[in-house]
Amino acid sequence: MNSLQTYTTGNGDEQHTLVVIFLRGGADGLNMVAPLGDDGYFRARPRIAIDAKTALRLDDFFGLNPLLKELLPAYQEGSLAIVHAAGSEDDTRSHFEAQDLMEHGGLAGGGWLGRFLRANNSGSNGPLSAVALGHALPECLRGAPAVTVLETLADFSLGTKRAALVNQLAKLYGLQNTEVGAAGRSTIEAVRRIADMRNTVYRPANGAVYGNDDFAKSLLELARLIKARVGLQAASLDLGGWDSHFGQSAVMNPLMVRLAKGLAAFHKDLAADMQRVTLVAMTEFGRRVAENSAFGTDHGRGSVMFLMGGSVRGGKVYGRWPGLSKDVLDGPGDLPVTTNYRNVLAPILERHGGQPALPQTFPNFELNPVPIFG
Amino acid sequence: MHLKRRKFIETTASGVALLAAAGCDQLPRALQSLLPPQAGIGGPFRPPAADQIDPLVHVLNHATFGARPGDYERISKLAKEPRAAAMAFLEQQLAPATLEDRVAEYAARRFETMGEPLGELFEYQPKLLHEELMRATLMRAVLSERQLFEVMVQFWSDHFNIDPSKGECKWLKVADDRDVIRPHALGKFPEMLRASLLSPAMLWYLDGRVNRRRNSSEKPNENYARELLELHTVGVHGGYTQEDVMEVARCLTGWTVRSKENKPYFGIGKVEFKPDLHDFGAKRLLGYVLPAAPEGLNRELRENFATAQLTRVLEIVTTHPATATHIATKLCRHFMADAPPEGAVKAVAETFRHTAGDITPTLRTLFTTDEFWAARGNKFKRPFTFVASALRAVFAETDAGMPLVRYLERMGHAPFTYPTPDGFPDVAAPWLGTLLWRWNFAVAISENELKGTKVNLKTLRERVGGDEALACHLLGRRPTGEEMQAYHESGLGVALLLASPAFQMC
Repeated sequence: MNSLQTYTTGNGDEQHTLVVIFLRGGADGLNMVAPLGDDGYFRARPRIAIDAKTALRLDDFFGLNPLLKELLPAYQEGSLAIVHAAGSEDDTRSHFEAQDLMEHGGLAGGGWLGRFLRANNSGSNGPLSAVALGHALPECLRGAPAVTVLETLADFSLGTKRAALVNQLAKLYGLQNTEVGAAGRSTIEAVRRIADMRNTVYRPANGAVYGNDDFAKSLLELARLIKARVGLQAASLDLGGWDSHFGQSAVMNPLMVRLAKGLAAFHKDLAADMQRVTLVAMTEFGRRVAENSAFGTDHGRGSVMFLMGGSVRGGKVYGRWPGLSKDVLDGPGDLPVTTNYRNVLAPILERHGGQPALPQTFPNFELNPVPIFG
Repeated sequence: MHLKRRKFIETTASGVALLAAAGCDQLPRALQSLLPPQAGIGGPFRPPAADQIDPLVHVLNHATFGARPGDYERISKLAKEPRAAAMAFLEQQLAPATLEDRVAEYAARRFETMGEPLGELFEYQPKLLHEELMRATLMRAVLSERQLFEVMVQFWSDHFNIDPSKGECKWLKVADDRDVIRPHALGKFPEMLRASLLSPAMLWYLDGRVNRRRNSSEKPNENYARELLELHTVGVHGGYTQEDVMEVARCLTGWTVRSKENKPYFGIGKVEFKPDLHDFGAKRLLGYVLPAAPEGLNRELRENFATAQLTRVLEIVTTHPATATHIATKLCRHFMADAPPEGAVKAVAETFRHTAGDITPTLRTLFTTDEFWAARGNKFKRPFTFVASALRAVFAETDAGMPLVRYLERMGHAPFTYPTPDGFPDVAAPWLGTLLWRWNFAVAISENELKGTKVNLKTLRERVGGDEALACHLLGRRPTGEEMQAYHESGLGVALLLASPAFQMC
């Protein structure tokens, strides 16, 4: 087990895993983490604002949407942090353009995470160093060395009826006293370990309960991979569908529940292992401050980012609140971005040992990292 | 080429409509007759039979994307001595224009967007362009007779890497591949460098298009200038300074590209020189003085002056001794070993220098070094080579479709997806984590699980003459006892051999 770790990451069981969750569609940060202390919020959203009385108080200004209540314990215990009025410099308000810029980390080739993994590469990468849970490679991981796209752990195998093949490969690679031989042996070890995992019923720890939706299932698979210590450096997954132009609550409410339940289960399940994990959830842009006639909101700018992990200095909402008066709103009436998303990601990447890789990860950008770690 | 394509479409009854309706991949039967017949595995063939990789197998491993059934026997007949036959094969490969390549040309023609003129590329979805570019590349690697040429196309695509996901490279990389890399892959290095410098895709990728200095307070964009010195020519330890980078950047100010954002919307993708953005002052580069432009030149003369200076810059960097060493090192790394042998690097650099960067004689020198012939079976195939060589070895009929590209993506080696300008690494370490996907690919191809790709292993086994001979063909040498035992006991003999350590090497 140690040999695989050493081979894949070089730092044994200390391997840190970065989990990136993309909330596609433009998630409304204002109704997830409501600025209860700003009257402008209630004035702009007479029908869809979160009721100050039911909101869960985060501090003397912000309140959490009650549908996100499952996130409250992690927040209170200090392992969940929120950054408000966060986003990118893209002002096209186009899903495609904004996602593209955010995932590429600017006008650059490849995705920010892909470039980071390349630049932070200590030599070789294990078969499971980067994983995208889903059916396609997300742009942020474009250009990474060896990314595995998988929906379930079953995808990481040679199929169920290939035991004889695996055994023979184990023999042939076992005979090779070369780096290729070593790589083959490590790969077989990883395949076998994951096969063992598949063959046992997974019981989440500490009474964590994952839902039956795809997001929860992906998080569960991810928790298993992290616990199995197979050298996972980065994982990405999506929770899409936040584009709430019309009947916002019908669109967003179930997603918020899914998000909160999923993250809460993941957090509870991993418990002490969260020390080695940093999770970040982000979206391409927030929504217009003012509601529209269809009980919805249109494309805006600033939104929220969620950060979770054992070392995150949580229990706090970060970011400068710009206010919602007319003179500060951006363009057609949007929450201005006061924290660039790179300034939230950079300290995470630093924590994951990648300080020297930052200039390549976020080219042409002067970083001013948010101090989210203790 | 363009004319031919048009003719091809005209010959078909309402060809365009038919092609649109059926998709190019499923040509109606009537149209299939226009295509040349697939050559097929052919008759019985003789595989290599030595215990170790012999010279013929060695050149097939390096000058091609892997041996097809019959290749070994065919080239062994080129001369009496194996080494002489191998050299004769290399000579053929070094003159690609003399090699008939109808099958690959026909097959690549299905990727229609590849032939579109620059401006018209912008009419297509970037996703389609990228897919066709990847598929055409794989198709040629598998089918082309001009194998060494394709190997070198890949080499230079890495050397002058452009990730099409940046900005308008999404559309322009297709033209870069067609108009910069391919025409010069076995040509003259200085000409390729010039074409690359003025390639609209490169001007986008390394920000040359926004490199300007209208007055002394404006700072040029150094991105391209730095990579020109660090990656494309003299190399990182080649003896240039930060000042040299800045001076090159100044020399190249003013060359820009018409973007799709430009109004009016025409001439898009066209490279233009804007004298007002160029720095006409004196410069100093790698010890040479480049004089300032005389006062009072008209617009045309100013452009001529800047162009002449650009030519001078290219001359300085391409004739710099460190450039010859840098290119020779990369070539020897590619064709010999991760740690390129010094003696060979010296010899190759010498030819590069005295032929002024003529790639063909440079390669000829490389292929005559003792180090090349000694470096047998010690390079770990990169994933693309692994996939192409497996397809070639089992003579797969393939549409080079997306299921194959997905495998390459999983292994981090889908063509034109490398983010930074240094190109995909050409050493083993970064690729060692890809074995599981190689093994899965080996199973998928030998079990005919890949849509659009078909193999007939029964015929292959018959033609080569049984299991042991088949193993000789796939491994390029006689299998060991352990390999044959594994072949039989695995239950999936061909997959086992394609997945075995030996097949990962070349």
